Order: sequence, then structure tokens, then C-alpha cells
Amino acid sequence: MHVAPQTITALVGPNGAGKTTLLRCLAALEPPFSGSITIDGLDTREAPRAIHARLGYLPDFYGLYDGLSVRRALSYAARSHGTAPALVAAAVEKAAGRVGLLDRLEAKAGELSRGLRQRLAIGQTIVHEPKVLLLDEPAAGLDPQARRDLSVLLLALRDAGMTLVVSSHILAELEDYCSEMIIIEDGVIVGGKAVKVRDVERPRYMLEIATARSDLREFLSGRAGVDVIEADDYHALFTHTRNALARAKLVRELVAAGFEVSSFGESTKALEDAYFKEVGQGAR
Amino acid sequence: MNPEFQRNLWLELTPRRMILMAVVLGLCFFAAAVTDGPASGPGETARWLYYLIVVVWGSRNAAMSVVGEIRERTWDGQRLSSLGANTMVWGKLFGSTLYNWFGGAICLAVILTDLLGHRGVFVALIELVYYLAIGVIAQAASLLASLIAAGRRQGLWRLEVFLYQAVGLAAAVAVYLIWSMADPAGSILEHVAPTDFIVWWGWNLDARGFLLLSLAVFTGWTLVGCIQQMRLELKMRNTAYIWLGFLVFIGIYVAGFDAWLSANQSLTHLDAVARRLLLAGTTFGALAYLMVFLEPKDRVHYRWLGSALAKFRLGRVGGGLQGWMTAYLAALGVGIALFFWLGTMMLAADQAAIGAMLGFLTRDLAIVVLVNAIAKRRSGDFAAIAILFALYALLPAIVSGMKFDSAAVFFFPRSSDPVWLSPAVAWGEAVLAVVLAIGRLALPENENKVAAAAR
Repeated sequence: MHVAPQTITALVGPNGAGKTTLLRCLAALEPPFSGSITIDGLDTREAPRAIHARLGYLPDFYGLYDGLSVRRALSYAARSHGTAPALVAAAVEKAAGRVGLLDRLEAKAGELSRGLRQRLAIGQTIVHEPKVLLLDEPAAGLDPQARRDLSVLLLALRDAGMTLVVSSHILAELEDYCSEMIIIEDGVIVGGKAVKVRDVERPRYMLEIATARSDLREFLSGRAGVDVIEADDYHALFTHTRNALARAKLVRELVAAGFEVSSFGESTKALEDAYFKEVGQGAR
Repeated sequence: MNPEFQRNLWLELTPRRMILMAVVLGLCFFAAAVTDGPASGPGETARWLYYLIVVVWGSRNAAMSVVGEIRERTWDGQRLSSLGANTMVWGKLFGSTLYNWFGGAICLAVILTDLLGHRGVFVALIELVYYLAIGVIAQAASLLASLIAAGRRQGLWRLEVFLYQAVGLAAAVAVYLIWSMADPAGSILEHVAPTDFIVWWGWNLDARGFLLLSLAVFTGWTLVGCIQQMRLELKMRNTAYIWLGFLVFIGIYVAGFDAWLSANQSLTHLDAVARRLLLAGTTFGALAYLMVFLEPKDRVHYRWLGSALAKFRLGRVGGGLQGWMTAYLAALGVGIALFFWLGTMMLAADQAAIGAMLGFLTRDLAIVVLVNAIAKRRSGDFAAIAILFALYALLPAIVSGMKFDSAAVFFFPRSSDPVWLSPAVAWGEAVLAVVLAIGRLALPENENKVAAAAR
């Protein structure tokens, strides 16, 4: 398998499939039973510590130094990842800002709520600006708002140049930010490679019209920036730029052409569709 | 500053804890002063408190420094860092025990004040070295024991942590006894008669100097052991050279005591060379047994090692050898040398005994690896010990009870008629055990995964 730079890859599969084991292998914490793993050009067996310096890793169960303040916890994480002493204060401020803990820098980790502890854990993981970020069930136990914040943060980290691999067995959790998916069953990657599930910049949209029109596919295909995936006389599934103005323009064109648009919105089941498609193929 | 040490500094030395320690110790010394007797003044109280705070409590904190982090899910493997093994060891060793050393420093100040008033500067300095040494050695030994257990992913329970602490306390007792015999100031245990000289490699050496030097060298090896073990814990690969260096050292060190063997009635026919080889080989064999139980029997690592060996990547093989493997190879090498040396002395029975010992050593190590490959991780060593107990004690007792004494040759080295029977049986069993162990290690992880991979 290959994980492309500056992508967010979902690692999905049922409980016990081997997601955490694979993540630990990627983190150079476990040697692979066979084969090899290369992170940023370094073999996990040959240079595990150099890989650790390049990685941010958040396991599914983690602990925090409850007696340390947020500032000191982040400072220690930065120093232990090799950040120069002179740069630690700035790195701490930046990481705390990213995870929304700037106003709690002097609070003890042990006094934080679950959601805030999760933010601190992620802050510790990114404080040294790692190239690769491995997150194991990062949204477990978070409330909807915290999950949304997490999605925004992960997309921002990707945009900042990081490559992320996120493990979860809850597909809905990954839907907002993952562009590729690796499905694991019984310790084996189904299909043997990552599946491109969506382009975050070009999401999938579902259009529904009230009156059948046999030229729906043809009309959409003729619009700039529209790539039709599938269509019939009532529905069309297509990719289009995330830009809101461009979408508004498309709707105007549809209405002007006499299409009775009854529903138009982002399709939010791309990951789920791809998952069951792949698993189904595997089962066959 | 060492980041690990600094983190411990933040957590351990809070103003409130420092004040608490100072107040409690101050009250203890004050109580000792107002009830002053010839053996219970503040100086004597400070000595006992030092042992309690730095040696007993400190060795527990050192043992907990890694094990406690694994338990709390804050250890390096759960959050990753790029700290080197040296940094981590020093940060753990002196950071996790920082509060103990704070209390110890207060006690030392009282001890030194007492000594300066009664025994002079020289004795005070000598005792300062002693107290620092016993604290560091006890804590380092506990840390090493806990790191070895952590490598096996064991040792998180209170009783087991107590065992690591006990290793530290045992090291402290050893330091205490050695110092008692060798203390230049003679102030620790005056009733223990000092040994005047020690015969080592035929030289008569001053006992005090030899013991103190041995203490310093073994302390150094303990710290090196901590760093090597920490490297493994941080997923770094050790080179074989450090362990090889230790084996060379311990072989030479132990072989030097051959004069002590010359008093043994059954070994009087051996010359000095044979006795030295026997001592070194036995030590290597003992280390192989010890290490095979202490080190993780990781099937993935053994497969990787086998793969490197098959491709003749000898550098990788050398770097991937575990401690028990190197000790075994050293025992084998020295044993073969001894075998041929005994041949020059026309001692066929002794040759057969050495051959049988090497065969049974090989068999036993293969059994430990095989059983661990079959059993679940934590029960493998216990099962192997049970099998070895049966082979060395139960089954020989049964055949002896049934008047088949000659059958004991199947279980452990013993004289046989003809003399080659014992080594032949030992090596036959060894080959069988090795073949079974390698076969088991080479099997795919499980049939399900093979089927899934094929899909």
C-alpha cells in the first residue's frame, strides 16, 4: 500500500481487524511479520527513532501527565521531539492555538474535561510539526461539536503539509475529512491497496428532479467543472467544486433549463458506499 | 536541560512537596537531638532515614519510572518521542528519584556535619562516596530489572514492581557488604574482618582495592545495561558489541578465580587452563539460561533473523542476535576449546561430559524457544520451566525409582558406558528440539491470514 503525501487516509475495518496493529507498525513500534514499511524514505526497522521524530502518534488509549499544566505538557512534548529550546515557546503557542487551548495554558491536564484532554493529546502530537500524523480512533468519546472541530483541525493540518492516517471503525466519523480509505479485514488489506473515496476539494453531490428528464446526464456533463458518476432520469451523482457560488450558478442553470430541482446536496455516504463495495468484492 | 529530567523536575519538586520533606526531616532530627543517646543522635537518624528515602523508596521510584508510565499510558511507545536512550536513562534514573535525592541531600548534610565533628574530613568524604554509590547502584539495578520486565511486556503489577525494587535492595546489600570489607576508613562494619588479599589470575591483589574496583566496574556495566535495555524499549536495535564486550569481561573476570576451584577434590586433575575455560564456559552457559528467560521470544524477530541468515546478511544477523544467543555461542566456543584441551590431557570422560553439557544446553534453549512459540506470551516461560523441571528432576527420579539408573543419560549430563553415549544422546535431543523450534517459528502466523492473503 502507498499513502500519498498531504492526504488524509482512513484506516477502516471491524473491531479486531488489525487497524491498531498496522498503525503501530507504521509508527515503528512493532516490526512487520513480513515485508517492510517505509516512512518518508526511512525503513521502520532500520531507523525507528528517526521515524519517531517525523511522526505524530495518538493511540486509541493514551494518558496525560495530569500534574503538568497544558503549557508544560506541550513544552515537554516539543522538547522530547527535538524542538530547539529557543523555539519551544512559539511551538507551544501555535499548537495550543490550533487545538483551541490558548486560554487554558496554565490549567493542569488533570483538570481538563474529556474533550479538552483529547485536544491536549492532539496538541502534543502536532507540536513538533510532524510530517506524518497517525491517529487511532481520535474522535472516540467526543461530542458532535468536538468532532466537527476535529474535522476542521485535521483538514487544516493536511493543508499545512502533513500526511494523516486515521483509524476508526465508525465510518461517519471519517466522512468529513478522509479522501482515501484502506479497508482491513483479518489483518489483510481488502483489495490490497488504498481506495480513493473522494476528493475533498471536489465532493460528490446528489441531484434529484421531480419530473423525469432523459437528458439530465447530458446536460450536467456539458456544465464546466461537473463530472457525472452515475445518472438516470430522476437522479444524478456527480463531483463538482466545493465553491458555493459555483454550486449556486449550477442550480440557476438547471432551473433555467426547465429541470424541476427537488433536492440538491452533498452526498455524505461516499466512504460507506466505497467500504461496502470493496468488502462485498472481497467476500465474492 | 534533559527534557525527561525537566519533566520530572516539574512533577516531583513542587514547592509544597519540598517544604513537606524538609519539615518532616527537620522534626525527625529535632526529635533525635532532644532524645540524644550515644547511638541515636541526629547523625545516626540521618543514616537510617537516608537508607529509607534514597535506597528503599528511591529504588521503588526508579523501578516505577518506566513501568508506571506504561501503566498510565504515557510511556514513549504510547506517545513517541525522539529522545535518545542515554537521555532517557539519565532523565529517568535521576528524574524519577529527584524527590528522594532532595530528602537524601538533607540527610547527607546532617551525616556530614556529624562526621566532620567526630571523625574528620577524610572519613566524611569517604562516607559521602559510599552513600552516593549505594543510592545510585540500588536505583540503577531496580531500573534495569524493570526495563527487562517491560521489554517482556510484563511487570505491571504491584508484586512484580516489588521484585524489581528487591533487585535494587539486593544490589544495595551487596554494596554494603563489599564496602564493609573494603572501606579504607573502616567505619561501616568494623566487626567484619577485612580480607587482606585476593588471588586472581595467579596474582595476589589487595582485597580492598580489588573489591572497590569490581564494584565500580559492575556499576558501570549496570548503567550500560540500563542504556542497552532502554534502546530496545525505544525500538532501537543494539549492536552485538556491547554484550560481546560484557561477555569477554565477565569471562576473563570469572576465569581469574581458578585458584578457588583448585581446592575442589573432583577438579584437582585439571590444570589452570582447563579450570579457567570451565569457569568461563559455565558462566556463559548460565548467562544463556538467564537471558533466554529474561528476553522476549519474539517470533517476528526470529523470523527476520532467519531471513537475514538465509541471505547471508551477517552484519544484520550480528546486530539482531539476542543476548542469550551470543552467550550460547560463547559457551559453545569455550566448550569446544575446553573439549580439545582436555583431549590433549587424555581425559576422555571429561571430554564426554563437556560434550553432553553443550548438547543439553542446546536442547534446553531450543525447548524454551519452542514452547514460547507454541504457548501464549505470558505462559511460555512457565511452561518451559515446568518441562525443564520434569527433564532434570521428575523423570530422572522416576527412572531411578524404577531401577533404570542408566536411563538418566537421556535427561542430563552424566558418565556413561560407553563414554560417547551421553554426548550422543544429548546432541540427538538437541537436534530434534532445534528442528522442532525452527519448524514452529517458520509456520505462517495463522491459517486464516494465509487464506485472507490468498484472497
